[in-house]
Amino acid sequence: MYNKKLVDNLTTGQSKLLSSKRRDSFKVFEKLTKSDFNRINLFDYQFPEYSPYNKEYLKEKKWQSQIVLKKMTDNLNNEEEILNYLEEFKGKKVKKGNQGLDEKYLSMVDAFYNTGLFIKVPRNTELKLPVEIFYELDKENPVLIDNNLIVAEENSKLTIVIDYRMKDQELAAFHNGLTRVIVKENAVLNIIKVQRFNDQSDNFDSNISLVSNQGELNWIPIELGARNSVTNNENTLIDDGSRASISSVYFADGDRKLDLGFKMNHQGRHSSSEIESRGVLKDRAQKVFRGDLYFQKGAGQAKGTEKEEVLLLDKTVDSDSIPALFSEEDNVEGEHAVSAGQIDEQRLFYLMSRGMSKAEAKQLMVEAAFNPVFDKIPLNDLKGSVINEVKTRIRS
Amino acid sequence: MNEKTEVKDIDRSLHDKKNESKHRYQSAKGLTPEVIKEISREKKEPKWMLEFRLKALEIYKKKEIPTWGADISDLDMENIITYVRPDADLQSDWDQVPDEIKDTFDALGIPEAEKESLAGVGAQYDSEVVYHNLKEEMVEQGVIYMDMENAVKKHEDLVKDHFMKLITPNDHKFSALHGAVWSGGSFVYVPAGVDVDIPLQSYFRQNAPGSGQFEHTLIILEEGANAHFIEGCSAPKYSVNNLHAGAVELFINKGAKLRYSTIENWSRNMYNLNTKRALVEEDGVIEWVSGSFGSKVSMLYPMSILKGARARAEFTGVTFAAEGQYLDTGAQVIHAAPNTTSTVNSRSIAKDGGHAYYRGLLKVTENAHGAKASVACESLMLDNESKSDTLPIMKLQTDDIDIGHEAKVGRISEEAIFYLMSRGISEEEAKAMIVRGFVEPIASELPLEYAVELNNLINLELEGTIG
Repeated sequence: MYNKKLVDNLTTGQSKLLSSKRRDSFKVFEKLTKSDFNRINLFDYQFPEYSPYNKEYLKEKKWQSQIVLKKMTDNLNNEEEILNYLEEFKGKKVKKGNQGLDEKYLSMVDAFYNTGLFIKVPRNTELKLPVEIFYELDKENPVLIDNNLIVAEENSKLTIVIDYRMKDQELAAFHNGLTRVIVKENAVLNIIKVQRFNDQSDNFDSNISLVSNQGELNWIPIELGARNSVTNNENTLIDDGSRASISSVYFADGDRKLDLGFKMNHQGRHSSSEIESRGVLKDRAQKVFRGDLYFQKGAGQAKGTEKEEVLLLDKTVDSDSIPALFSEEDNVEGEHAVSAGQIDEQRLFYLMSRGMSKAEAKQLMVEAAFNPVFDKIPLNDLKGSVINEVKTRIRS
Repeated sequence: MNEKTEVKDIDRSLHDKKNESKHRYQSAKGLTPEVIKEISREKKEPKWMLEFRLKALEIYKKKEIPTWGADISDLDMENIITYVRPDADLQSDWDQVPDEIKDTFDALGIPEAEKESLAGVGAQYDSEVVYHNLKEEMVEQGVIYMDMENAVKKHEDLVKDHFMKLITPNDHKFSALHGAVWSGGSFVYVPAGVDVDIPLQSYFRQNAPGSGQFEHTLIILEEGANAHFIEGCSAPKYSVNNLHAGAVELFINKGAKLRYSTIENWSRNMYNLNTKRALVEEDGVIEWVSGSFGSKVSMLYPMSILKGARARAEFTGVTFAAEGQYLDTGAQVIHAAPNTTSTVNSRSIAKDGGHAYYRGLLKVTENAHGAKASVACESLMLDNESKSDTLPIMKLQTDDIDIGHEAKVGRISEEAIFYLMSRGISEEEAKAMIVRGFVEPIASELPLEYAVELNNLINLELEGTIG
């Protein structure tokens, strides 16, 4: 199914260089075997049958004239530029790095993407309003394989919101995505990703970035849906003073399984990173948090912190945390902290003594944990609907 | 410019004193059923033990070498001599121990320590125990402290019920190897309610080159008993690699308390692939104190299984990885009963290209409601040739728990030095204080008299200059 014939189909009408990139990726894909995700008991996963994705995913906005925005599947006239950017990911000496959540899943996107965007903010351009992208899955479009490349050129500033969603509660959909990000000197890029698939669907998502001199990249991944969700977010801080942060929020209930991987590769001097994850597990939900802080040799005076907090609401949940610190450089500051447990009984009691029901009190405490991150969502509609969704699900 | 703090290497001259390898019997190289039968015959073992050994050997042949952790491709398993019987009989009178062997232990300070502060001493030289002694008052209270070989014969039922029940040959390749070729080690039995208030100590010395040491330590504490066991290890350095694959099984019954201290200072050509496990019943306590200084490669993760309600585990460990060393250590705690608690406190130092790796596991099972655990790991890097990694895995399967974890890596904090200097302490002294303070948790956990060994081990000399 994911074979050469499909690659031939997909390259028909696509520009030459990108087509040959697909073919090269297919050669890699062909040879690899899939990884299992043991900790969430996801073994020998079978990719569902390919189908094209034809939905419009961009809200037309005036600002489009200020940035470059193209569909990766089109016959592009700037393909050389795209390939040059992709080249930058090669040769970054990262141990087992830049592979997304797994090489097989990564090369699958590179070979078979059915949609995706190239977004570039030119030098010295600052966009006040966020770029909104929504990938919505439905009966006609049950498979999403998006290959995105986002570039923030020198001194630019941009916020992008990518909303993965679906209305249909019955459909078993599939998403395997890849977002590559390049942040150049002094640029600031914020990316908010919201995943709200139904609990029949599977979500796989790789995010890879390179952050240059004094550049700054801030990720806000919000995971609320899917039956299985396996994501990876890997950032390489290549130069002096590059910065990256991840503020992750997840809410998993029912039989959902999450495997969340976050990684910071410090290469540049004075580079700094922050990983913060807050989550709630309810019912029989399972979660794996992997956070790697990696200080490569030469990353003098780098600083990295990692913090995980997880609230466990039921006896039947399963929570794994694997925070790791790898250091080849003495002159660094690395720290990680994990805390896990129930909602504090005393606080709960206090709120209840003020006339709240237990459910209300619990909900309030979960909100208190999440709101600092939700407040960073720049779109009020989206923020409102995310907050509402969490509210209703805590109560159910 | 700040000059880096110099911490001198551990003085090994004492441990590197090697004796000519004299032995009465040495097994052939390699691992075959014949070699195993030979060892068992030499030891005049009961038949069940020989059968156990042969079964373990079969498992060993089938098991793969772990794919994670250290690179042990340098270790030529087929050429390790698994059994070396020293040219000496087991003695309980120190003067009867052959001079050469005695001198080695004398230099290490073992007999003095016994005189002054220990309830019992065991000394193993290569594969066999050469000396074992227990104070009279302990014997009267029913305490048993003897070498494993004799225990297998004299306390057969007790041994049979516990031997390799906690660590089985199926666990991994090196536990299978241990099951097949184990030799020596100590057996401790403390009857209900008996308090062995001064420590018992076993010292393991590996003298023969190209050999392996596979001692088995089995400790059983009956209800309400209390004991402290100290294990010390060393070996001189040869050009061929040695292997240590011991096993330590600790059974801590209801309300009993055991402290297990280890000062490990194997030579820098030793592969230390040891397995240690404790099973703790209701209200029982296990306290591990662990200092890892020696060996070329260590992979050691003492496990505490908190099986009974309110059982408690504490782990305090210091790892010092210097040039050419890869020390991969950490604590494993399984909370398998309600209201169990655990505290893990690990410190590691890496210098001169050494690689210190903390790898730990904390697991809370479904029925362990009310469990409390905290894990703290701190790493100090003294230069940027070295590596320091921390990988604590946490697996939580219930909600009503309180888990905290913290880890830090970095070099000596300039602020701390500045603070101390502002209090009138010289920079040199400030740096020295910080490094000493860093290893202090383990130093303070050992009985003062026992510092004989520790003092020989850590010889930190600090040289700082004004920044």
